[in-house]
Amino acid sequence: MAPQIPDAATAWPPATSPGIGLSTQITSNTSFTAALAAQEQELLSCIHCGLCLEACPTYVATGNENDGPRGRLYLMRAVAEGRLENTSEAFSKHIDRCLGCRACEQACPAGVQYGQLLEASREELLHAQPKDDWTSKLLRLVLRHVWLSPVRLRFFFGATRLFRDLGLSRLVLKSGLGRLISPRAEFGMALLESSRPIFKERTHADQSGGSGEGVLLFKGCVGEGLFARVNRATTRVLQANGYEVAAPEKQVCCGALHAHAGDLDGARQLARKNLTAFAGSKAPIITNAGGCGAMLTTYGHLLANDERCAESARQFSARVRDVSQQLATGEMRSGESPVDNEEYVACDLSCHLLYGQKAGDASLKMLRSIRGLNFGELYNAEKCCGAAGIYNMLEPELSRRILNEKLEAIDAAEADIVVTGNAGCQMQIGAGAALGEMGIQVCHPIELVDESYARAGFYDHGKQDA
Amino acid sequence: MDKLIDNLAAILGRENVLSKPDELLVYECDGLTHHKHRPRAVVFPSSTDETAAVMRELARAKAPFTPRGAGTGLSGGALALNSGVVIEMARMRRILKIDAENRLAVVQPGVVNLHVSRAAAANGLYYVPDPSSQPSCTIGGNIAESAGGIHCLKYGTTTDHVLGCRVVLAGGDVVDLGGAGSEVPGYDLLGVFVGSEGTFGIATEATLRLSRIPPAVRTLLAEFGEVNDASHAVSAIIAAGVMPAALEMMDREIIRAVEQSVFAAGLPPDAGAALLIELDGIEAGIDSEAEKVRSICLEYGARSCRNARDECERKQLWAARKGAFGAIGRITPDSMIQDAVVPRSRLPEVLGAAYEIAARYQLRIANVFHAGDGNLHPLICYDSRSADQVAKVKEAGRELMEVCVGAGGTITGEHGVGLDKRELLPLVFSDDDMNAMLSVRAAFDPLGICNPGKIVPMLRGCGEGRAIAETFAPRVTAAPHHVVQEPSRSSVPESGLVSPGSLEELSDVVRSASRVQPAGGMTWLPENSDLIVSTSRLTRIIEHEPADLVAIAQAGVTLKDFNAKLAEKGQWLPLDPPDDGRATLGGIVATGLGGAQQFGYGRPRGSVIGMKVVLADGSVIKTGGRVVKNVAGYDLSKLFTGSYGTLGVIVELNFKLRPKPECESTVIVDGPVVELTTKARAIVAAGLFPVAAEIVSPAFASLLGIVAKQTIMLIRFAGNQVGVKFQIERTLALCEGGEVIADDAQLWQQLAAAPLRYASGWHAGVLPTELAAICKTIDVPDALWQAGAADGRIRMLDNKVENPVTDPGNAGFLMDRVKQQLDPTNKFGVYR
Repeated sequence: MAPQIPDAATAWPPATSPGIGLSTQITSNTSFTAALAAQEQELLSCIHCGLCLEACPTYVATGNENDGPRGRLYLMRAVAEGRLENTSEAFSKHIDRCLGCRACEQACPAGVQYGQLLEASREELLHAQPKDDWTSKLLRLVLRHVWLSPVRLRFFFGATRLFRDLGLSRLVLKSGLGRLISPRAEFGMALLESSRPIFKERTHADQSGGSGEGVLLFKGCVGEGLFARVNRATTRVLQANGYEVAAPEKQVCCGALHAHAGDLDGARQLARKNLTAFAGSKAPIITNAGGCGAMLTTYGHLLANDERCAESARQFSARVRDVSQQLATGEMRSGESPVDNEEYVACDLSCHLLYGQKAGDASLKMLRSIRGLNFGELYNAEKCCGAAGIYNMLEPELSRRILNEKLEAIDAAEADIVVTGNAGCQMQIGAGAALGEMGIQVCHPIELVDESYARAGFYDHGKQDA
Repeated sequence: MDKLIDNLAAILGRENVLSKPDELLVYECDGLTHHKHRPRAVVFPSSTDETAAVMRELARAKAPFTPRGAGTGLSGGALALNSGVVIEMARMRRILKIDAENRLAVVQPGVVNLHVSRAAAANGLYYVPDPSSQPSCTIGGNIAESAGGIHCLKYGTTTDHVLGCRVVLAGGDVVDLGGAGSEVPGYDLLGVFVGSEGTFGIATEATLRLSRIPPAVRTLLAEFGEVNDASHAVSAIIAAGVMPAALEMMDREIIRAVEQSVFAAGLPPDAGAALLIELDGIEAGIDSEAEKVRSICLEYGARSCRNARDECERKQLWAARKGAFGAIGRITPDSMIQDAVVPRSRLPEVLGAAYEIAARYQLRIANVFHAGDGNLHPLICYDSRSADQVAKVKEAGRELMEVCVGAGGTITGEHGVGLDKRELLPLVFSDDDMNAMLSVRAAFDPLGICNPGKIVPMLRGCGEGRAIAETFAPRVTAAPHHVVQEPSRSSVPESGLVSPGSLEELSDVVRSASRVQPAGGMTWLPENSDLIVSTSRLTRIIEHEPADLVAIAQAGVTLKDFNAKLAEKGQWLPLDPPDDGRATLGGIVATGLGGAQQFGYGRPRGSVIGMKVVLADGSVIKTGGRVVKNVAGYDLSKLFTGSYGTLGVIVELNFKLRPKPECESTVIVDGPVVELTTKARAIVAAGLFPVAAEIVSPAFASLLGIVAKQTIMLIRFAGNQVGVKFQIERTLALCEGGEVIADDAQLWQQLAAAPLRYASGWHAGVLPTELAAICKTIDVPDALWQAGAADGRIRMLDNKVENPVTDPGNAGFLMDRVKQQLDPTNKFGVYR
């Protein structure tokens, strides 16, 4: 029997973007099944074999089929085919609980593009079940009115940095005030705390850019807001390897947070701005956060129905690569290990770096360039840490269970330093370790490389040149 | 509100019970999406106690239930029909123990198959059964389906690798079936439980056999222009005496799908078929085996045949093979997967028929399958949104099944019958066969609430639960004295000995007699036998097809005659039970006893693939089939094997065979028992594969013509010349000496014959690590005993010492129920 697909299916893609007003309530929604119905072909490629189940951290944590990729796809297909209302609580609950880590894509023999289907579901839910709780309202407000405005975003991060650097977040944590407010508030403070550097940056000066290939750095919102040092380290390492690095002025947030929250319209707005900012060049676009990198590589899909920029979005996505991938294209210079040989460095692979950008191998290769570094992969390195953007704030309970598995692996590995190629993961693992008083340090792998270069004296030479 | 759900929530906690219709939606199907039945609730127990409490509550409410693991099954088996409750075992996912010394693992049912091997890898061990879904499927589900995989050809299926299960029965009783020791008294309930598809109870803990990771592996990829050539090559490889660990085929369509998926492994897109052939074992001699395979492939028209370049490519090739079923999603919106098994020798014609049927229905068909087992997995491509195609695919599927059954095959080799093939079961089993199955089911589940509606078709269109309850209720409640015996009208005397000359005659005798003692070679008989029914005139060897590695014979054939006949084609039935030349096949299977070489070749339970049995009412039933892999219906063969004729008279047997090894040789070493068991462990740990490591007492040794002051150990190796020579040398080095007996056949014959010279005695099985301690207690002067150092089997010939291992277990009541179901008047006497 052919499934009943509402008319909306034929009205997709809409001639113009539906113009989602995040602050406006959408009340009539039951017939709006466009987002998923449009994906029917993609949904059909799931043959229900279940090979994805064990790849899924939420399924492993709960054992509930609804919390696994196959179950979520089944719910999506039911909605697309009209067997399940998109207003169903089961639908929103289990789509909300998805981390979006995309590990299932790697396990899927049928090549189902789960990440895209997830975003379509979240868009569908944004219309069908707009949430009224204050967390969601605040989230919508922030995503719409802060993140889309570069000036407000800069102010927001400026204030956050000030809070951290004045030691206020530490105070809130140490005094127990955070816990008094709520476990979530405490965890939030711990996240902020763990964005601190573990190495004292030796030089802020950019090195003389090599005369070699030009690359463009994508800085990221949280990246530039809380981890500017990682951007600087990335620049220095690239320069030391002969690249000429520039960072376009007008770049904005990648839009990942919006896309994960189902605000595809917001994500598209940001994407178009980035297209403009990076236009006029064919140079590789370098990221150092798996979350941003994975998002940028999906611009081609995100804007596929936008006639004006579909082609340039596709070209843009093809240019995106993680810094480790860029370095892996050539022979990379080797620095001296900045950590004691006694200390063990455990490498965790950010999901989006691994599954979104497929940069897992490159990441490890980059670490191998450090002479004398005692490091290895965590045994569950390919599993999500539970950060997943702001999932740790939205689904704290499940997020903590998933984080705990990661922390157990770190504990079992007796790691002293954990490296991970994504800001969100770094803060998540750092916060969990700090609250659990594990006494480990967390940083970005490029920071290790940067420090190893500094020790090897590569930058001294640079200074003289400058 | 639903009272039952409230009660279940009271037991497990509200968060462990799903009952909202929308959340139950995803539980409406398993890996096979065209059957949809939404359950009434899903519950998540986390211990044996919780499972038992849930099942007590369900029995009280007479509510049917269905166990479920990862839901990757392909027969609709994990669906709760008629709003039953799903008991989901996914949260019981702890590996409780890895015992490297005894090569076993104890796990909860929700543990994922692959995780067992991963956990055991550090000890150089692995869990052999490897279904394609092994990254997700659970051990509990594997046990329910007796899952197969790509390595069944050489190593068998799940049933050969599960040593014991803790099972919760409907109603909440907890029983332990089987056990870690190699010989467990009573009926082989474990054997019949494995593969019962969740209709006998729920395993909440399982003891699994782990095997040593073979030190050497060769994977060959052979490309063929035509499927037909490839399937002829498959038969030729087996007939040539090669025993590959795996032998898999992929056809053009499936290669196309795989190469479009994440599992692309660089398979040739223009090949008509590709064979993946894996050989494993020890390094010495493996290359000559590989060369043999290669030349056979080329002889049968392969365009090329080459070794996998490295471990990376080897893994990639297998990932491609295992991902093939999922990859079909790249080329079609829906597909129906079939799971028929045919005798290997009939592969070419059956495959031809499959393509012909698909063409006639204008459907595309892709084939990826276990060619070595003859286990076909045709994937018929269709689009479920077209009603016309749905009808066609069903018709084509059924037609294909009929062809397979017509060729001597069966309807399912590893996916199970479940709901999907329930209506096809009568293609392979008669009403009598199915009635016997239902009787055993009623013994396990008298209420008929344990996964009802699966495996056996509904009778006369009654409601699911009722159908089962109605059919069995009278038999369950019938006490023996209610069954009135017809006065005997035949001329058969009520005592004495008869030797029927045919199945029909034997059936008549059993029907009319009131007490029957089946007998074969008369090597073993209880004292107070009434009417002895001998199989001595049932001596026909019915069939032997070398390419299938299968032979069928009547029960009265002696093992000696049977093996002499098989040897003409270079094959044998690899059993060495107590036998002085008189033992018949029927007797060997009825006693179920193995011998010294069971470490290498297994016990009779592993060699029997089907049988014909005369039941107490005279009906002749068939169990199993004549293909090496078969999960259609319950594995009743296991129940009759080792039942000592107390459940029926075995009249005909189907065996899977082995190629006769090119060379056999034995090393004899002596020393105290503790030292010998340590040596045996060292030999196994060194990556050698002895087929036997038998310790015998000095008195026993003198029976073999060996003068010994202390216990001796006979270590036997079998295989090709190079391999045996290498292993003998390694053994001599490890044991720091020893005597080599190259011409050792007579020695092992004497060893097998010895027990029959003594009327009394006992046998037992313990863990290999416990063996030394037990042997010490029985090692009194002049005592006659033997013990399998590697498998923990002990046999005392002269009863000089009492059996120190006496654990009756807790499943006695269940054995009584089985006995009462199959032989309510106690016609065949009491066992246990």
